[in-house]
Amino acid sequence: MIIKSKKGLEAQFAWLFAIIVGIFILVLTFFIVARITQTEQVALDASTAKEIGVLLNPLETGFETAKTTSIILPSETRIYNKCNNEEYFGRQIIKLSQKSFNKWTDTNLDVGFSNKYIFSDEFEEGKKFFIFSKPFEFPFKISDLIYLSSSDKKYCFDDAPKEISEELENLNQENIFMEECPENSIKVCFTETGCDVDVLYEQKYAIKNSERLDFETDSLMYAAIFSDSEVYECQVKRLMQRGEQLALLYKDKAEITAGKGCGGNLISDLTFLNGVFDEVKDSGDLRFVEGSVNDMQSKNKLCRLW
Amino acid sequence: MKIRKLPQKKGQLKIQQMAFMLIAVTLFFVLVGMFFLTIQVSKIRKTAEVLEEKNALLLVTKLANSPEFSCDGSFRTGNCIDADKVMALKNNAKKYEDFWGVSNIQIRKIYPAGIKECNIGNYPNCDIIKIYDGEITEEYSNFVSLCRKESFEGSSYNKCELGRLMVSYG
Repeated sequence: MIIKSKKGLEAQFAWLFAIIVGIFILVLTFFIVARITQTEQVALDASTAKEIGVLLNPLETGFETAKTTSIILPSETRIYNKCNNEEYFGRQIIKLSQKSFNKWTDTNLDVGFSNKYIFSDEFEEGKKFFIFSKPFEFPFKISDLIYLSSSDKKYCFDDAPKEISEELENLNQENIFMEECPENSIKVCFTETGCDVDVLYEQKYAIKNSERLDFETDSLMYAAIFSDSEVYECQVKRLMQRGEQLALLYKDKAEITAGKGCGGNLISDLTFLNGVFDEVKDSGDLRFVEGSVNDMQSKNKLCRLW
Repeated sequence: MKIRKLPQKKGQLKIQQMAFMLIAVTLFFVLVGMFFLTIQVSKIRKTAEVLEEKNALLLVTKLANSPEFSCDGSFRTGNCIDADKVMALKNNAKKYEDFWGVSNIQIRKIYPAGIKECNIGNYPNCDIIKIYDGEITEEYSNFVSLCRKESFEGSSYNKCELGRLMVSYG
């Protein structure tokens, strides 16, 4: 009897052990699979974000005015555009979230670039994205500005000045319309008011979502049209940060070339411009820089520094 | 006595067996986990490396257009690298660390070739402008026109030479 019951106990124990270990193995497997899938998704989002940034390199223009390209992603994607003004140049941050099993992935990994300036809404959603770039010169080239928009968003430019409409037509970007605007398109008006974006071209400001965004040059005007006010202000500040450092580079260059009879007259102006750029806190301050910029442009004629 | 002790020893053996089994199962999972982790990490590293390489490859073709390097309107040739500006950049290199996401950038004169590194004292009588300290390891390069201002009898003129722009991503 005793021996029999012990055998039963042994058999029960073996079963219990198998069940406990089995459950443990299953739970662990599910946990590991879930973690791996999550990590894979985060890695994919981060690497795609980095890849987008890397693919923006060829958009650095030389003498071309503006050029466009598109990116097609395999699944529905949200490209988050963030920016900060830390250190000398601030950082352009791209964060990606992709639709997986009808849910947006939550990626905490931000991919940053110091030499890129992307103008878009807080996030752009879709599978196909259009990107066009245009150099920003103030007074020297500060950078190429990149305008990102989803193909799902249609922009309709109404009564744009001739040079703007010609430039946009030459871009041939599928989501930009000059005539026959599709329904639900974002209306950009140059003469009327009360549109989604009102551009007061001569006064150099745009009104978007009841917020005033000041601009200088056409490249910043496009930036104001395509981007959200927070992104715009942050990127303008970053552009001024880069301008500040470029002014120092040109000042150092002028010191090198002054002995050869070139650029010596601009040394003190460049030092001043460096300080003026530093003072810009938001787009509203751009008009304080305009005077110095125009003044320098007229002085940079004989032996050109830029 | 002996008959009674035998089941006790058998029980102890079973417990030992179970303990060993548990350790073996745990070890097995730890090893499998580590194996997967290694594969994952190496995959991510490989992706990062490929992206770095891609960045360097695309950058080298367009770096000459970057405002820190380009001639802009100061030389009539247009598409060239402004050596005077690059020397100014070299003096401010600390601020530009990690700006282009590459480990090093160098510009070498191709003809006349030499190994003399440029500094503010010997410029322009030198051959290599290193933006950052350190050697070029894995690299991509592109041929560029390297221009600077020179003077002759009090008036300045443009002097352009053939150079090689090298970008290291290692």
